[in-house]
Amino acid sequence: MKIFLASMLLLLPAWASAQDELGPQGPAVKMVFAPVITIVQGKPATVPLSFRVSSGYHINSNKPKSDFLIPTVLKVEATTDIVIGRTTYPDGKDMTFAFAPDERLNVYSGDFQVDVLVRPLRSVEKGKYVVRATLKYQACDNSACYPPKQLPVSFDVRIAKAPPPRRSNPAQSPHAH
Amino acid sequence: MKRNPLILFFIVAIVAAMLFAGIRMARHHRANGPARGQLMGNIAPDFDLPALDGKNVKLSDLRGKAVLLNFWATYCVPCKIEMPWFVELQKQYGPEGFQIVGVAMDDASTEDIAKFAKDMGVNYPILIGKESVGQSYGGVSVLPTTFFLDRDGKLIAREFGLRSRSVFVDHIKQALSQGQAEQARR
Repeated sequence: MKIFLASMLLLLPAWASAQDELGPQGPAVKMVFAPVITIVQGKPATVPLSFRVSSGYHINSNKPKSDFLIPTVLKVEATTDIVIGRTTYPDGKDMTFAFAPDERLNVYSGDFQVDVLVRPLRSVEKGKYVVRATLKYQACDNSACYPPKQLPVSFDVRIAKAPPPRRSNPAQSPHAH
Repeated sequence: MKRNPLILFFIVAIVAAMLFAGIRMARHHRANGPARGQLMGNIAPDFDLPALDGKNVKLSDLRGKAVLLNFWATYCVPCKIEMPWFVELQKQYGPEGFQIVGVAMDDASTEDIAKFAKDMGVNYPILIGKESVGQSYGGVSVLPTTFFLDRDGKLIAREFGLRSRSVFVDHIKQALSQGQAEQARR
């Protein structure tokens, strides 16, 4: 036990030095979940991507209240097999912060979800496809802001074969007797 | 198998030393310039940057004046809070040989930066920053970051993020009272 405590005491200055040397590190926004959606060829589907902003930080929403503020934007890379449709962002929360008590900012903090509409082409082979994207965001905490960052993300889409088109029964020709 | 406690302690000591060294090296590579701690007490890295009026400003040309060097960006709301203070402080301490210099560190166009500065009534030069200048100051990864230079151009203080007006006033008074140029003036 004594050795353990001594070891921890030894590591403490190194850790403290790390904090001082690196300075404020700024936030981390990470993607916490992206379900693998199975989509039928030619049919649209929505992929919900879940993100998390580090505790104590906030990022501008997709529609910040000033032209000078940098919105959060997910840029999805075009693919040859899957048509990327509309990206839907959640409403931000109107919040005031100690640094600007008279100004309400529209932000995301904690968890938020961005929905991406995708539609595989009818001709695409069945199987698993990777869609890549980049989340651009700019974060602040209660007293400072951090330069804009780009978070590369990806999600999988499983494409299933479309059922064969239903055959309509040909009209029965009247039998001539 | 029984572990020798001394060996465990030795291993932890080595890990701590490696961690310390690794962080220092990573910091050096990341910033590609001096660590922030190495800057203080030394002459501020010089630069020559274009101002919004089209003229260039060279930091070393301000030698003899106490300087507040403020790295900011148009997207930074805390930076916006400081600006009216800086306007007042420039008026108040300017006659004593004090100069504020703003360095815009964002991707906005010069026109947008100029509009922002005009809207804020800024009465001190705003320079268009470059990444290399930020790196020479240890990497400006937090905005606002503010440095205080004495009359000899020596860095005497820095602040990360928004601080109270009184903190700035204290540093300005200290910067005005320090440096050989000040001794000569007396």
